[in-house]
Amino acid sequence: MNPRICFYFQVHQPYRLRDLRITEVGQGKADYFDSEKNHQIFRKVAEKCYLPANALMLELVEKYPDFHICYSLSGVFMDQCKEYGPDVLESFQKLAATGKVEFLAETYYHSLASVVSLEEYCEQVTKHVRTTEELFGMTPKVFRNTELIYNNEIAQIARLMGFNGIIAEGADSHLEGRNPNDLFRPPTFRLPAEQEKIVRANRPLQKRARDIAVLLKNYKLSDDVAFRFSDKSWVGYPLDAGTFTDWLMQSGGKNANLFMDYETFGEHQWEDTGIFDFLRELPAIWQERGIQAVTPSQVIADWKKEHTHEYDVHETISWADMERDLSAWTGNHIQDAALSSIYALESQVKGTGNKGLIEAWRRLLTSDHFYYMCTKYWSDGDVHKYFSPYDSPYEAYRRYSHALADLRSRLSA
Amino acid sequence: MSMHSLMFGWEYPPLHLGGLGVACQGLVRGLLSNGVKVTLVLPHESETTDTDVRFPSDEIVQKLRVCSMLQPYNTFESFEANIRKVPKNKKDMYGNDLGEAISNYTEMSVKMTEDLNPSVVHCHDWMTYEAGRRSAEHHNVPLVAHIHATELDRTNYAPNEYIYQRELMGFEAATKIIAVSNFTKNMLTKHYGIAPEKIAIVHNGSIDRPPSPELIEHKRILKKQHPMILFLGRLVTQKGAVQFLEMASLIHKEQPEVNFVMAGDGHMFEELVDFSCRHGLQDSIIFAGKVGSMEAKQLYAQADCFVMPSISEPFGLVALEAISHGTPVILSRQSGAGEVVDDCFQVDFWDTAKMADCVMTILREEPLAHQLRSYAPRTLNKLTWQRQASHVQSVYTDLIHC
Repeated sequence: MNPRICFYFQVHQPYRLRDLRITEVGQGKADYFDSEKNHQIFRKVAEKCYLPANALMLELVEKYPDFHICYSLSGVFMDQCKEYGPDVLESFQKLAATGKVEFLAETYYHSLASVVSLEEYCEQVTKHVRTTEELFGMTPKVFRNTELIYNNEIAQIARLMGFNGIIAEGADSHLEGRNPNDLFRPPTFRLPAEQEKIVRANRPLQKRARDIAVLLKNYKLSDDVAFRFSDKSWVGYPLDAGTFTDWLMQSGGKNANLFMDYETFGEHQWEDTGIFDFLRELPAIWQERGIQAVTPSQVIADWKKEHTHEYDVHETISWADMERDLSAWTGNHIQDAALSSIYALESQVKGTGNKGLIEAWRRLLTSDHFYYMCTKYWSDGDVHKYFSPYDSPYEAYRRYSHALADLRSRLSA
Repeated sequence: MSMHSLMFGWEYPPLHLGGLGVACQGLVRGLLSNGVKVTLVLPHESETTDTDVRFPSDEIVQKLRVCSMLQPYNTFESFEANIRKVPKNKKDMYGNDLGEAISNYTEMSVKMTEDLNPSVVHCHDWMTYEAGRRSAEHHNVPLVAHIHATELDRTNYAPNEYIYQRELMGFEAATKIIAVSNFTKNMLTKHYGIAPEKIAIVHNGSIDRPPSPELIEHKRILKKQHPMILFLGRLVTQKGAVQFLEMASLIHKEQPEVNFVMAGDGHMFEELVDFSCRHGLQDSIIFAGKVGSMEAKQLYAQADCFVMPSISEPFGLVALEAISHGTPVILSRQSGAGEVVDDCFQVDFWDTAKMADCVMTILREEPLAHQLRSYAPRTLNKLTWQRQASHVQSVYTDLIHC
């Protein structure tokens, strides 16, 4: 039997920092973020990607009965929609209204909270679930952590939070030759009572899920589209929808999971690469060949639990960089200093009850800030550079450290 | 047959004023160690002065000395001052003005190498370009014009027309130009109208070694009451001496405990002293004058941050020297060194407020300072002269085989 396709798109924009100066620290200027630049980038990406891609997706889901898709919108993206792009928000709402589009839960601030602070993690996921319900009229049942950060604990915590599915990177080292197109489950174990208690107290969904399925990203096929599509030195270039469908079918298993940044369409791969035409052709070919594109929830609904392999991940993995671990955000001195300093303020910040202060602190938790500070200088360095709005990792840290210093001064005031 | 480069040099350690001599020496040594035969022609201040350069493969480098009064960074004015020190009867020999001296140098150096059989002629900066051009023509081999610093760099875009024309002649006569940075390449395409494909970039190498882990650790735990910020370079417009002081006065307002050292001499000295007094820096700044290499090393090692605010800096070897002493660096964006140093701050030379902010951030944030100290030296391992010389060698190979 042919595998089904599961298309999932990450949609996210961080709040980038403005060119803060040491002379402003402690002067009571609360705004750390570059609203002009954030607005400008949001509109640029909206015009190049979100609006045309959403229009195309709407057309496709309406036209092809077996074509479903899935998104996760970070909370800070949804905030920016309200600020800079009601038209973008509306186009996502139209997609939601078709009933053929699933929205996943994630951390509201696209943060690394899952590996630093369980309490903050739960609060952010809860805030994200509530906002998704409010904006799109549906309650997420499947979870994706920031940048597919994943380990056994994260999976169990997601189950305790109430999710019956979680998505993760299909890392070769953990697949051990198995096909990422199959469904997996994490090993079963009890979390320490203390942790369970925290999750119970901050559970985003009503009750814990009995079981949780893991959908793994098929990184080879996903990256063919996300990274290699316009690479003229790639043997697969130029990739057409027919060939790609052949590859999908040859990949075997039950469902081929194509997970990628939504900005792939029109922003990472520009329109003139033919990426939209490629996308437009896929469902037509799939319908012709009787291939379904389904949402994660549909995959999980058909889950034959007795035949499930275990995906056993002790160390933390992600979908970032070649290492597919946490080294895109942690590991050098400035990243570690920034990360530990910001989380060290958690209880103090929350203790103030000051909404503006808490919001500013949380926007500083967004993983992108640490990503921009990355100094790995081989080929992945280029990727970090491409995404960074600043001219160097040190500039990223300079701005961040001023924001931190100002936050501290507000706390001690 | 092994490759033979006939090289027309300008200055050479220990007789040197700027980066060119150091770069030239590094390149020659690198080429030699890669098996390229080098004949180096050097001008000397007088026939009795011996440069006394020795290195292991001395016998392979044939140094041919040419009598000349030429010194790098010569201007017509300083040349006249120089030549007046020479006994009258000798003066005729060197010619009355710089132009004539160069033509004498050119004449002699071409003549004394005309019986060689080089595979390529390689000349360094404008004073040697005419010699290079004629020699390449005589031997009928490709000409490589190396550009270490342009007249526009030195004069803040107000060039001496004669020198500018000399440079232009060299660039046009060359089969290939080697620029020490992308910054310089852009200068040549933008202000000399040279086609970009004619220019290869070979960054300077460095003989400086990374700092020891002990030094890095020592600097990490050292807590200073009075942090020190260092400038090292000639006190001239090109080096951004005024920008350094502007930055210093901004820092002084916020953090009066910070000290500044300006090492180097130059015609702006008085102006700079005056500026620092007017901005209340008199107790926070030391003008160290021209420093020898031992003093320079100590200053680099003591500094908490090294700032190179140059207005136009083709490369900037001082940046690498500072890095090799475990000192965080802030480089002007108008410099070539910034192209090879990843772990630093880069700021436009005119943005002294941002420069000040970077310094204060480094002083406040120990993890940042530590990372800059320990990561930046990775550049030194990449930029060996042996490696950079092999890039030059492949330029030669391309020229000889096409």
